[in-house]
Amino acid sequence: MTTAEPKIAIRNVSFDYVSEKKAFPALQNVSLEIREGEFICLLGASGCGKSTLLSLLNGLQRPRSGEITLNGKPIKGPGIDRAVVFQQYSLFPWLTVKGNVLFGIRQSGKKYSRKEREDLANRYVEQVGLTAAADRYPSQLSGGMKQRVAVARALALESEVLLLDEPFGAIDPKLRLELQELVSRLCVEHRRTVVFVTHDLDEAILLADRIVVMAPGRIRNTLPVSLPHPRVREELIRTEEYEKLHRQLIMAFYDQVEETIDAGVAL
Amino acid sequence: MKDFFKNGGRQWPEFILAAAFFVLNVILALTLPYYSAHSRYYDSGAYVVVLSAAFVTYTLYLLAAKKKSTSDIAVLLFGFFLLWELSFKLGLVHNDLLIPSPEGLFHVYVEKPKEILADVWGSLRLLFWGFLTAAVFGTVLGLLAGWVPRIREVLLPVSKVITLIPPLMFSAYLIMLLSTFRQAAIAVIFFAVFWPTFQGTVSRVGQIDPSIIEAARTMGVGTVGMLFKVIFPYCMPGIIQSISGSLRGAFMCLSGAEMLGINLGIGYFIEKYKSFADYRCVLAGIVVVGFVTTLIDILVSRVKKSLIHWTY
Repeated sequence: MTTAEPKIAIRNVSFDYVSEKKAFPALQNVSLEIREGEFICLLGASGCGKSTLLSLLNGLQRPRSGEITLNGKPIKGPGIDRAVVFQQYSLFPWLTVKGNVLFGIRQSGKKYSRKEREDLANRYVEQVGLTAAADRYPSQLSGGMKQRVAVARALALESEVLLLDEPFGAIDPKLRLELQELVSRLCVEHRRTVVFVTHDLDEAILLADRIVVMAPGRIRNTLPVSLPHPRVREELIRTEEYEKLHRQLIMAFYDQVEETIDAGVAL
Repeated sequence: MKDFFKNGGRQWPEFILAAAFFVLNVILALTLPYYSAHSRYYDSGAYVVVLSAAFVTYTLYLLAAKKKSTSDIAVLLFGFFLLWELSFKLGLVHNDLLIPSPEGLFHVYVEKPKEILADVWGSLRLLFWGFLTAAVFGTVLGLLAGWVPRIREVLLPVSKVITLIPPLMFSAYLIMLLSTFRQAAIAVIFFAVFWPTFQGTVSRVGQIDPSIIEAARTMGVGTVGMLFKVIFPYCMPGIIQSISGSLRGAFMCLSGAEMLGINLGIGYFIEKYKSFADYRCVLAGIVVVGFVTTLIDILVSRVKKSLIHWTY
């Protein structure tokens, strides 16, 4: 059964990084369709083009050839219909936690009264568990707290699509578990279509409806994850489905790592 | 009061010494006549008031101080005043033409309070207008030049050459160009503040974290919004830093600018009494300059802290 119109359609997209004389191909003829409300994890080793694909989706880069559409319309640049969470947080240092979230609410273009904005900001801050730190500045926050703010700010934009580029790459493992569950819960709650870039197998299994494994420059294969949401890690790791997926991913991942190494040797 | 005694006992001996100097000084000023007949006698009231004000301020500061602080500077200061006083009362200085007595110096403020206040006010007005226009134009142009490479490539090299020329050098030409000495003086201050502010702003815009810009772009911030909503607040600390840094230059140019020929301002006051060879008034004017500039400096750093509190 196929649904009528995909939320996001990536068709035959290629992209090169151009330096002074040479062009390095980063993506070659990549195609992918993402349904509304789907949680996609782009999984792959560093340098395989997953972050490049995300920057094409958020519109900061334009493809060399091919087309990406959102709701049937081609993506021409960054826009509030797609909210982004970066690995390096990118919070505004002159605004408090709440101020950063308020910035997102203002940019959402929705007509809110001052009171509504305040209430909404407080709600988002509460949802990421930062009520006690609402009036602190980013320089006074830990990495995990900063990333929570970034998530709240992105949610505040009320975009249909949420793009996350290795958001928890720089966060310690214990905190990462917490944040993964937070994002998983919030995305289901807010019914967002999500593209989540990661190189962490467990993270992908915990979060994704579909895992897209990337090999250098192309999509290697896609694995649907049919586990029900919300997923709880302790229960998840005891299921057979989890073990199967994990095995498949490791196989896919190792092949790919070898490929990357081969490519490196060939160069 | 408890803290005062608790402060490690470290400042106790120094406080007592400073207090002893102060008391001795006041007694000397109020009782003993000058030894030398060549020195004019002035009423010691103003001097005693200033000295007492200094001592009260110092004591209050010590009481309010949270950290353990030493009082070496107070000992030196009150020691200096005592020596100065003694040199007159013991006849070490025979003539007060070049070195005025402390009573004489502070008596100036009783003699011409209106003149001094008017001159300080005149100076502050020059400073205010020159400083304000320069800060505004420097920031706006700096933001534009920092954000638009074509503007930057024109203005930055020009600014690098011009900043090397002391603004006072323009004065001769500015007087001719502008209709009043007042405008010329403001223009000189303007140039002393404008270029540092401009350069500071440009370099701060250049240091902006590109991921902040990218994040703002993905949040739908356009080109104009970027300048006001993102780049300006991001650059605030750098801009404020360079503006307050150029304040010193502005003070220097202010006194120079007042010697251009305007007949108001504390620089003019000093210049005028210099030509009368009244060095008592010259020194009194210099003390006022030190006092006022320190006050402005404190005020500016307060404002700075409240404007860019997120960096503290």
